[in-house]
Parts: sequence; C-alpha cells; structure tokens
Amino acid sequence: MNKLYLGAIVVTALMLFATYVSFDFKHGSSDIVNQLAILGAVILVIATIFVVVKYVRQMQTDTASGDLMEDNWDGVGEYDNPVPTGWAIVFLGTMIWGMWYYLVGYPVNSYSQIGEYNEDAAALNKKFEEKYKNLKGDELVNMGESVYLSNCSACHGLSADGIDGQAADLNVRLEKKVVKHVIENGSSNNLVSEGMSMPDRNGLFNANTNALITDAEIDSVASYVANGFKGNEAGAKVFAGTCAACHGADGKGMEFVAPNIASFDSSLVVNVVANGKKGAIGTMPKITVLNKKQKEAVAAYVQSISK
Amino acid sequence: MFHWLEKNPFLFAVGVFLTVAFAGVVSILPSFAQTSRPVIGTTPYSTLELAGRQVYIKNSCNACHSQLVRPFKAETDRYGHYSLSGEYAYDRPFLWGSKRTGPDLMRVGNYRTTEWHENHMMNPAAIVPNSIMPGYAWMFKNIADIDTAYAEQLTVAGVFGVPYNKPVPMADGSTKTIKMGKTVEDARALALAEAKLVAADMKNQDVKDMVKNGKIPEIVALIAYLNSLK
Amino acid sequence: MENRPLEYDYTVAKWFMFAAIALGIVGMTIGVFIAFELAFPSLNLVFGQGLAEYTNFSRLRPLHTDAVAFGFTVSGIFATWYYVGQRVLKVSMAESKFLMFIGKLQFVLYILTVVAIVVSLFMGYTTSKEYAEFEWPVDIAIVVIWVLWGVSIFGLIGIRREKSLYISVWYYIATFLGVAMLYLFNNMEIPTYFASGGHGDWFHSVSAYAGTNDATVQWWYGHNAVAFVFTVPIIAMIYYFLPKESGQAIYSYKLSLLSFWGLMFVYLWCGGHHLLFSTVPDWIQTMGSVFSIVLILPSWGSAINMLLTLKGEWQQVASSPLIKFLLLASTFYMFSTLEGPVQAVKSVNAIAHFTDWIPGHVHDGTLGWVGFMIIASALHMTPRIFKREIYSKGLMTAQFWIQTLGIVFYFTSMWIAGITQGMMWRSHDEYGNLAYSFMDTVNVLHPYYTLRGIGGFLFLTGLFMWAYNIIKSASARPVEESELQSASPMGA
Ligand code: HEC
Ligand code: HEC
Ligand code: HEC
Ligand code: HEM
Ligand code: HEM
Ligand SMILES: [Ca+2]
Ligand SMILES: [Ca+2]
Ligand SMILES: [Cu+2]
Repeated sequence: MNKLYLGAIVVTALMLFATYVSFDFKHGSSDIVNQLAILGAVILVIATIFVVVKYVRQMQTDTASGDLMEDNWDGVGEYDNPVPTGWAIVFLGTMIWGMWYYLVGYPVNSYSQIGEYNEDAAALNKKFEEKYKNLKGDELVNMGESVYLSNCSACHGLSADGIDGQAADLNVRLEKKVVKHVIENGSSNNLVSEGMSMPDRNGLFNANTNALITDAEIDSVASYVANGFKGNEAGAKVFAGTCAACHGADGKGMEFVAPNIASFDSSLVVNVVANGKKGAIGTMPKITVLNKKQKEAVAAYVQSISK
Repeated sequence: MFHWLEKNPFLFAVGVFLTVAFAGVVSILPSFAQTSRPVIGTTPYSTLELAGRQVYIKNSCNACHSQLVRPFKAETDRYGHYSLSGEYAYDRPFLWGSKRTGPDLMRVGNYRTTEWHENHMMNPAAIVPNSIMPGYAWMFKNIADIDTAYAEQLTVAGVFGVPYNKPVPMADGSTKTIKMGKTVEDARALALAEAKLVAADMKNQDVKDMVKNGKIPEIVALIAYLNSLK
Repeated sequence: MENRPLEYDYTVAKWFMFAAIALGIVGMTIGVFIAFELAFPSLNLVFGQGLAEYTNFSRLRPLHTDAVAFGFTVSGIFATWYYVGQRVLKVSMAESKFLMFIGKLQFVLYILTVVAIVVSLFMGYTTSKEYAEFEWPVDIAIVVIWVLWGVSIFGLIGIRREKSLYISVWYYIATFLGVAMLYLFNNMEIPTYFASGGHGDWFHSVSAYAGTNDATVQWWYGHNAVAFVFTVPIIAMIYYFLPKESGQAIYSYKLSLLSFWGLMFVYLWCGGHHLLFSTVPDWIQTMGSVFSIVLILPSWGSAINMLLTLKGEWQQVASSPLIKFLLLASTFYMFSTLEGPVQAVKSVNAIAHFTDWIPGHVHDGTLGWVGFMIIASALHMTPRIFKREIYSKGLMTAQFWIQTLGIVFYFTSMWIAGITQGMMWRSHDEYGNLAYSFMDTVNVLHPYYTLRGIGGFLFLTGLFMWAYNIIKSASARPVEESELQSASPMGA
C-alpha cells in the first residue's frame, strides 16, 4: 500500500479516536446536539482526508495538461482548464440550498431559539417530575450530593468544612462563635419563616435569674449548644431558662417559632438556600437556580453529613 | 471573460469594495435600534462599578470568562436566566467573551459575595482546589482610576443619553436613580461612599485602611462591579 | 533596459521579512508560555509576584494574538507584497523614489507602532475587543500605515508594465480594502478625555456601540479580520509562491476567478456564526450559519486549484521541503475551512462555542495555513533577496516534520479538550442536576493542555530552525548571478 494512504488512515484513525475519547457515553448519548457534533467532527475528518488524497493521487499518477493562456506573470502561466465539475455542482448546490433554507425552508425569524429553549426545558422538567415523585432516602441524598458539588462546594468546600472559616462548616450544626454572635446581635434570616426573627441580647430574658442574659451566661450557653447539647451544666440551665421557650427543651425547634439548632433539618437548609444568610461567618447568597426537589435533596445531603 | 476588469485596477477595486461592503449594511443595520433598548430593571453602572469594569477589561478577564448565558437548560441551571439583549444596553464595550476557560460571569453577583471574591481573587487555588485562574494580588495595592470612570460616565451620558441622575424603571414598578457626580470631586466622593460599603464586608486590613484614608484599591472597584452582575 | 531582466529592489521586503521572523518568534514564545500557564498555573508567578501583573495569562493572551496576527502575519503580508508586487507587475521599486520612500516610511512607522502596542498591552491599555484591542491613538497610527500601504499598492499598479493584474494582486487589493473598511467601523470609539472636558486618562475611549450591537459589529469585524488577514492575503501568497516554486502553471484561471469573487461575496455574511445562541436576532445568526456552509466552496476552490497545479509533480513534493510546506498549507487550509463551517452549524456550535475546540480550529488555520505559508514564502524569497542558496535543506526538512507533528499535537489535544468540555457542560445526571461542577470540567483538561503546550513548543522549535536557516543563508555560498527561475536552490 501507498505510504500516503497509510498516513491518511493513521490521521483519520487518530482523529476518530480523539473524538471517541471525548464522547461522554454516560451522559451524552441521548443528546441530539452531542450526536450532531460528533457526526460533524467525523465528516470533517473523513471529507478533508478523502478529498486531499484524491488530489494527491493525481500528483502521483496524472500530468499537467490544458491550453496555456496568453498571460504570463514573472514566469507564472495559467491554463484555461474548466472548473472541476464536482466542485461547480456542489457550489451551485449549496447556493441553492442556502437560498431555499433562508427564504423557504426557515424563512426569516420563523425559528426562535427561546421557543426551542422553552420546549427543551419543559421536556426535561417533565421527564424528572416522574422521577422526583418517589425519590427518598439514600437516593435523595445522592441527588443532593450532586447538587452540593456544583452549587455549594465553591464556598463550603468539597468536604463541606467551610474552607478555613470562609463559609459555615456543615459537618457540625453550629460553631460557638456563631451561637454567640446570634445571641448578641439577634438574627433575622428567615430561617423558620418569613419575618420571624430572634431578638438580640436585650430581648433575651433568663427566666432562672429574672434578668437579661449576661456575658458569662452567653458564653456557657454557646458552649453548650455548639457542643451538641452535652456537658456544661450551667449552659444547660441557661438554655432551659432562656432559649427553650422558642427552640424547645431539646433545641429541636418549633414550627413557625424557631429553628432546630440541635441538628440540621430539612426546612432550615431549604430556607437558607432559598433566602441566603448573613451572620457571624459572612454572607451566603440565595441560590436561585435550584428547583424545589433539588433544595430538598441538598438538605438531605447536608443532614447526612453533619454529626 | 473578466479580463477587461483585471486590466482596470480602479473599477476592479470598486467592484471588490461594493461586493464586500454590501453584506455589512444588510446584516448590521436592520436590527440596530431594536436590540439596544434596555430591559426594565437595567441600570447604568455607578462610578465605582464602572471603574471596576475598567479593571476587568484592563486585566482581560474576558479572555477566560464569558458574560452570556445561552438559552440551554444546562446553562440556565448553572448560571441563571438566559441573557436578554436589553440587559446589555449600557455595556460599552460588550464583554460576552468567546472562550470559557472559567465559568460565565453574567450573573455572578447572584451567587457569590464580596468576601468570596476577596479570597478568590487573591489566590483562586486556595478557595477552589486546582483552579487554573491566576491570582490578582496586585489589585489589592493598585489604586482604581475613578477619574477615568467619571470621564466615561460623562461621555456616555452626554453623547448617548445614558440616564444618569434620572429615574430608571425597575421590575417591581418602582424607580431607581443612579447618581453621577456634578464635578469630579463629587464623583470621587460618591465612589468612596460606595467603596466603604464594599470594604465593610472585606477582611483584608490594608484594603480597609486604604479605603478609610480615602483611597480605593482596584479590588474594591472590581468587586463592586462583580456584585453588580445580576 | 528592455532585454535586461529588471533589477528588483527588495529592501522593504527584506525588512518586513525580518520583522515577521522576529515577531513570529516573540508571539509564539508567548503562545507557548500561555499554553503552559493553563496547564501549570504556578507559571503565572514564575517571574515573581512583583511581575505577575505583566506575566499572568490574561495580560499576555492579547499580546500573543496581536503579536502573531498584526506582527508575524501582517509583516509577512507586507514582505510578500513588496516582493511579489514588483515581480508580477513587472516594475521595480527602484524606478520610483517616491514609492521607495513610502515603503520605507511604512516600515519605520510600523515598527514604532509595534513598540507602542507592546508597551500599551503590557500596561493593560486595551478596549477588550478581540483583534481590535488597541486604543484610539494606536488606531490612528494603524490607519496611517494602512494608507501608506494603499499608496504603495496603487502606486506600483499605476506604473506597472504588466497590463493585466495577476491573481495575487487581486487578493492584495482585497486585503487592503477589506481591512480598511472593517477596521474603521469596528473602532468607532469616543475618547473620553476630550468628550468629558478633560477628565481621566487621555488615551481612554468608549465604544460607539453598546451591548448586542457592539457584539454584532465586533464579530462582523472579527470574522472578516480572519478573512482579510488570515485568508485573503495568504491566498495571494500561495497563488504566487506555489506555481513559482514548482514551475507549474496555475491549473485553471476560471477556478481562480470564481473562487475569488465567491470568497469576496460570501465571507462578509458569516460574522453571525460567532454569535450563535446569543441575544443577536435569530435571523442574523441563521444567516451566519447558512453562508458559512456556502463558504466551503469558494475556499476549497483556491485550495483545489493549488493541488491541481501540482498534478504530476509528486517527485517535487517528495524531494523539496519547500513544496511540502506549500502542499500541507493547502491541506490545512481545506481542513480549517471545513472545520469552521462544521462549527458554524448551530447544533455543533452549541457544544463547540466557548470551548477549546475553537482555539483548536484557530490554530489549524494559523499554524498549518498562515504559519506554513509565511515560512514557505520567506524560504522562497531568501535565495532571491540575498542571491544565495538556502543554507540547509536538511534543516528545512527537519523543521517541516517537527512543525507538522506540533500541529497534530495541537489540534488533536484541543479537539478532545473542546468536545469533552462542551459535552460535560451540557450533561444532566440521572436526577436532572448538572452532572459536573465547573471545576470537574477544568480538571479533565490538564493532560490536553500539557499536550498542546508540547505541540506549541515543537512548532516554536521549528520557527527557530527557520530563522537560523535564513540568517545563515545570508552568508552561505553565493549562487550563480543569473535570475533564479523556479525551484529554490538549497544547500545540504
Ligand atoms: C423569641 C424566640 C427566641 C428565643 C428566646 C431564642 N431564639 Fe434563637 N432563634 C429564634 C428564631 C426565630 C431564629 C431564626 C432567626 C432567623 O431566621 O435568622 C433563631 C435562631 C437561632 C440561631 C441561629 C441558627 C442558625 O442556623 O444560624 C441560634 C444559634 C439560636 N437561635 C440560639 C439561641 C439561643 C442559644 C437562645 C438562648 C440564649 C435563643 N436562641 C433564644 C428565636 C428565638
Ligand atoms: C458564596 C458562598 C456560598 C455558597 C455558594 C453557598 N453558601 Fe452556604 N453559607 C455561606 C456562608 C458564608 C455561610 C455562613 C453564614 C453565616 O454567617 O451564618 C453559609 C451558611 C450555610 C448554612 C447555614 C449553616 C448554619 O449553621 O445555619 C447552610 C445550611 C448552607 N450554607 C448550605 C448551603 C447549601 C446547601 C448551598 C448550595 C446549594 C450553599 N450553602 C451555598 C456561603 C455560601
Ligand atoms: C486563566 C484563565 C482565567 C483568568 C485569566 C481569569 N479567570 Fe476567573 N476563573 C477561571 C477558572 C478556571 C475559574 C473556575 C475555578 C475557580 O473558581 O477558581 C474561575 C472562576 C472565577 C470566578 C468564580 C465564578 C464562579 O461562578 O464560581 C470569578 C468571579 C472570576 N473567576 C473572576 C475573574 C476575574 C475578575 C478575572 C480577571 C481579573 C478572572 N476571573 C480571570 C479562570 C480564569
Ligand atoms: C470557511 C471558512 C471558515 C468558517 C466558516 C469558520 C467558522 C468559524 C466558527 C464557526 C468559529 C467559532 C465561533 C465560536 O463559536 O466562537 C470560528 C472561529 C475562528 N476562526 Fe474560523 N472559520 C473559517 C475559516 C477560518 C480560517 C481559515 C482561519 C484562520 C486561519 C480561521 C480563524 C478563526 C479564528 C481566529 C477564530 C476565533 C475567533 C474568536 O476569537 O473567537 N477560521 N471560525
Ligand atoms: C507556537 C505556536 C502557538 C502556540 C503554542 C499558541 C498558543 C495559544 C494559546 C494558549 C492561546 C489561548 C487559547 C485560550 O485562551 O484557551 C492562543 C490563542 C490564539 N492564537 Fe495562538 N499559539 C501559537 C501560534 C499562533 C499563531 C502562529 C497564530 C496566528 C498566526 C495564533 C493565533 C491565535 C489566535 C487568533 C488566538 C485566539 C483564539 C481565540 O480567541 O479563539 N497563534 N494561542
Ligand atoms: Ca476568542
Ligand atoms: Ca480601537
Ligand atoms: Cu468566523
């Protein structure tokens, strides 16, 4: 076999292999756009190589022929050969096709990319609606992990540790400094429901002492809460006297009154994601690109990783 | 066949020019007015934001970042609503980019914060493991050019009628007025006031001190701009 | 006079040829560096934190694109014009003091402008528009240089002996007119210092168009900058150097004619393919796609004409590295002018746009076609300019294979990188979430970025071999006094 063909086959194989390597078989095979792109890539390689080889064969076997024209520039002449038929036909063909496409096939503005988007989005949503209906447990957590990785990991980190205090560490429910900050400054992040906020220290009354909460009490209750409601007798007392009224004796919160501060629960995470949060650590923006199920899922994931 | 034309350079050149110029007229002019109408809720850039935009351009962030959300489900899932023409009505130049080495930034103001940018711009890989984005540490020292931003505001307000100091309709029916200084001193004061709000959320003590002393580092302007991208 | 061959004056051609060599090396060294910066980001700091402002990827990228486009390529265009123009019009620069002066003035201004551009881009003065980054003072200098070139073209044509214009001259004229029109309209900008009554930096300007309109004008420009810098003048080169070097007559005048007018007509409608799925009206986008498909044919027309010109000349291809460069340039021209239209199909662009497949396509054209043509042109001109044979044929052959391998590395790696990333961005997982975070799609690219860097390094190595060969040729054994006809003489 001719060295040339060998070269052509090697390059073709290389490019087809490259295309094969790039194809995302797990996710890509059902997407028409992916298929067309691959088809385009394949046609592109084969057509170029096929045509070039055709002409290179002529270099090897044919000889120059035709009538030389009169003109000659610096020793460069021109033959009066006709244009290659194949080329002329395809050129004419594409021109006719182009005019047809633009004037008849898809006349000006008959296609709308936004219309196409709406259809695609509706189709995708419909497809997953079914799936979402009975998605629970581990599957929900799995789904949540993928939401977490693309939407939350930039701030909370791949291991959800908050990257050196840049965002909340989601492996633990609350850090001491966060609790202290909330007691001292109050909080109004719509964690439980719209407009429900926690007063600052001037509104926190300790029923045990019949006085406003003191610095020492703040410190002990903060340790108690951040430590997962364990140890620290003093803190437990302050909690019972001051906080339990709203957050419940076990810190698990009360619907419409105060959030669960003993562990993450779904509604809290959903609310943080939906409304954002400003606090001791910094500001978390609201994440608006997620649908309802995705928020539930990421909440399940956060619950699953926190101790 | 065409030999006569090839013997007449003048007519030849005219022929080429007409052939070439014709397409531009047909393809650019018809939609010119329609595509430049602002969407409700689109406001001009404040002085500080504009200075930040110039920092963005100066450092060619557009070499890696697009600002154009295409109408694909995967893109609206990642970045938010697809782009609308009128949202760019005050973008001179446009900054759509042509390469996404990094993610799109059209709506980055929605899902990133001042603190995050502060850490990230200093050293991206510290926040996002394996990030290939360069760090931009010098922006924490270089002073932003507020005067040139002001000059640009005056120019676009004067020449193109960009509505500074005029109420602009917002989506909820209210209006918003973006202020532009009457004098360059005014403009500097406006920018500084805005810079203080940004610096308040930042942790870098040098930056905070500079702003306190009336100087605005480039990073503050840049973050103001990034936060405005919604 | 009549019977003696004309003594052509190659002074200006020679100067621009050296400019092309120098700027090619500078531009591509930066190219290799930024390629490795993407593979190994710590290189952003390799010159120290103090210089990082000037050596990081984003500050250098426009320097790369402008050095290779407006430095390497445009010098190459000017060099070949000042060589080819005289010869196909049969008139020497030496015959007109005026044109000689214009040519030299053009060169001097060109070099000064290059210096201004390098300094200003390093400082970060840019308007951000691709291939039109320069602020208005530089724009003015460029317009002056361009006008001088126009004077030179039409001046030389004015005193020509050859009545009918050769094909290459058509393409040079088109380059001149096309770029002039495009550059002027895309650089409509208002200097803010003057418009604001004296505030801020004096060189700062603001675009006359906003948003979507700015984008439409920019890519009408951008696409056709590709046409009138990376395509049209390069075709001018191949139409002269390929038949001249091989000693063959052009296969078909008619094919040249149809390809030329076809290209002129079709190219300008295609800008919309850079704006697919943007906020530009659908009808402009569709137009860009449709005309891009039609554009395959006038593009391929020239390439086929060149391939057919070599009909029966396989022994030349086999024995001459210079003919090899010319043949592969035509091939890469065909490849990139089919790749472009494929990427212009909306569904394909949905994946290709914004990914590395685009730089892949870009460098198929710029390395394989533009780069090879300028390299080949200089190698053909050298023996004629210096009246010496080429220093080393072996070096040239080695250069050819090293660079070809470099290009193969470049486009295969970017092909994989682009398609992979494009598909990853689009995928949803089994729950309807995005399947990959953005960083996932960055992480997969590392090996391909490395491979691309290696490919670029190979190409750059070849460029140094080229420069060495040409500089050495200037001092190698003289060839015979007589005017060289076709094949360039080459030493061992
Ligand atoms: C008047 C009712 C009330 C009392 C009393 C109260 N809280 Fe709260 N707490 C709330 C509400 C409501 C929220 C949610 C605030 C929000 O949406 O930002 C909250 C939020 C919190 C949070 C923030 C949770 C998070 O994820 O950021 C902490 C920590 C907290 N409370 C601890 C305490 C402690 C400790 C005490 C006692 C010292 C206490 N609270 C007393 C109503 C109360
Ligand atoms: C731009 C950065 C950023 C992003 C993106 C982000 N967060 Fe946060 N997040 C924060 C910061 C900062 C805090 C701490 C706020 C504070 O000071 O309490 C936080 C707090 C939280 C909290 C509250 C912890 C607590 O103790 O009350 C939860 C839950 C949370 N994030 C979940 C998420 C989830 C789920 C996502 C993605 C869907 C997400 N975050 C995306 C920055 C971010
Ligand atoms: C070499 C390419 C490169 C350059 C130049 C670059 N970036 Fe980035 N950028 C990235 C990559 C890659 C990411 C994703 C990884 C990360 O977040 O660090 C990113 C992420 C970002 C993000 C986070 C967006 C998000 O959705 O998470 C912002 C904001 C950003 N860059 C701003 C900038 C600004 C402003 C500049 C210019 C001063 C710039 N970038 C220059 C590559 C680059
Ligand atoms: C038939 C001819 C061609 C067509 C239809 C075409 C089409 C395209 C398309 C569709 C893109 C991608 C736009 C995007 O999605 O971002 C593109 C980009 C590009 N092409 Fe081509 N191409 C052609 C030939 C060439 C040639 C021969 C060269 C150079 C030698 C070239 C250089 C470029 C460059 C530099 C870009 C990048 C523009 C940017 O900065 O985004 N093209 N082309
Ligand atoms: C040694 C050879 C070269 C190397 C290693 C190289 C490398 C690069 C790199 C890394 C980029 C940036 C891509 C990105 O942002 O992802 C780039 C862009 C570009 N290069 Fe080169 N380059 C080389 C030669 C050339 C030559 C010879 C030309 C032109 C004649 C050229 C024209 C361009 C253009 C037009 C772009 C912009 C592409 C776009 O925006 O899509 N390059 N190059
Ligand atoms: Ca580009
Ligand atoms: Ca300009
Ligand atoms: Cu194009």
